[in-house]
Amino acid sequence: MRASGTTLFVEGQSRLHGCHPFSKLFFIPLTGVAAYVEPGTVQAAVFLIVLNMTLAAAAGVLPTAWKITWRTLLPLALFMLPIHGFLYPGNHTPLFSRQGLTLYAEGLRFAGTILAQLAAVLSASLLFVLTTHPADLIAALTKAGWPSSIAYLLGSPLLMLPAMRDRTGVIRAAQQARGLDSGANILGRIRSLPPLVAPLVLGAFAEIEQRAIALELRGFHSSASKTSLRRVPDSTAQRLVRRLFLVATVFLILYRIMI
Amino acid sequence: MSFSEQLKKDFTTFTWVLIAVAIALNIVVGQLVSLLKLPIFLDSIGTILVAVLAGPWAGGLAGLLTNLIWGAITSPVAAAFAPVAMVIGIAAGFCAKYGLFRNWWLVIIAGLIITVFNAVVAVPIRLYMFGGITGSGADFVTAYMLALGKDLFGSVVVTVFTSNVVDKVVTALLVWVIVKALPQRFAARFPRLATAG
Repeated sequence: MRASGTTLFVEGQSRLHGCHPFSKLFFIPLTGVAAYVEPGTVQAAVFLIVLNMTLAAAAGVLPTAWKITWRTLLPLALFMLPIHGFLYPGNHTPLFSRQGLTLYAEGLRFAGTILAQLAAVLSASLLFVLTTHPADLIAALTKAGWPSSIAYLLGSPLLMLPAMRDRTGVIRAAQQARGLDSGANILGRIRSLPPLVAPLVLGAFAEIEQRAIALELRGFHSSASKTSLRRVPDSTAQRLVRRLFLVATVFLILYRIMI
Repeated sequence: MSFSEQLKKDFTTFTWVLIAVAIALNIVVGQLVSLLKLPIFLDSIGTILVAVLAGPWAGGLAGLLTNLIWGAITSPVAAAFAPVAMVIGIAAGFCAKYGLFRNWWLVIIAGLIITVFNAVVAVPIRLYMFGGITGSGADFVTAYMLALGKDLFGSVVVTVFTSNVVDKVVTALLVWVIVKALPQRFAARFPRLATAG
């Protein structure tokens, strides 16, 4: 499966690349709970961001992680800081005032906290996405006893995407040659939706039967265990760490509820 | 018919491939429409199609996995809204089950129902995880409602509803048009269509 190009996965040989997909996956809810629930403070979130970015650097994916984090959080920050700074309902300590507009401390603090929490969860998810080949995740899921149909649903859309994107271009060109105006006013553009979308959907549906027959021929519904060409290395230590992540996640939530 | 029997009937190999195709469709159509610069996304068209053809559980699965895969392709933020996409599929499936995909005005009602369920799940995620702001044009609605003196929760509810209602109604109508245009041989594979379409 060619994953680079379609997904965000970055090729590499680091320790993190070699970790079992589940280990990296279980780290995401733990980060989320630590950033949002308990302790749920800015300090905790900033600590997690630094930790995750250090791990990303060690795995050689820091440039990509850094770029995606900014691309995601910058537009958010541009909206969040002014909106909450001026309009957050809990605002009462003015920081700065000019021409009737007042910037408040509470709103900025709220926006800053949310941005730090989001960055923490985002960086943990990026560690997983950037260093896990989709085929490794699918192989790991199958090995853990998940049905092959779920593995199929995770893998095959990635393979269908490039062909379907090509077809979109062909359909758009064909409809424009027939006089479709995609630069018209808003009503005209809404009217141009069916001639663009319907052929794409009906064309994609036409292939389903062949694909289904091909899958049936290869024993898609057979319950016999299948051998995978891909081996996903795992270790007792990693299994232990995963269990620790899970226990810590549950513990933090319970701790918050009880106290 | 028991629940597990219904599931077995809904999830044939054909259905699994349909879900895979629908996931790819969601992503591709979402990108196609963003080129048209319309205030709609159409990124749940495949989900709602599956829901109408193969029932609420298949639809929910298509929605959930679309956003998870989207998270691996563009940015993990999409994965945070995976539960929302799942609920859209489930709600659409039940709308179809109770015959709301029969004619155009019933389909509009189905679109509205889907918008309501969408809001029930999207509002808490938007509110608690994102502090009410997601960095899109819809944030201007939130800012406007806050400026009018509404609390954050009320503002986010209004934003989520207004920014989704047109999208979900247009998506539902498109799905209805497409389902009607399906070849007989294809439609005959889905017993659910006899009651829905």
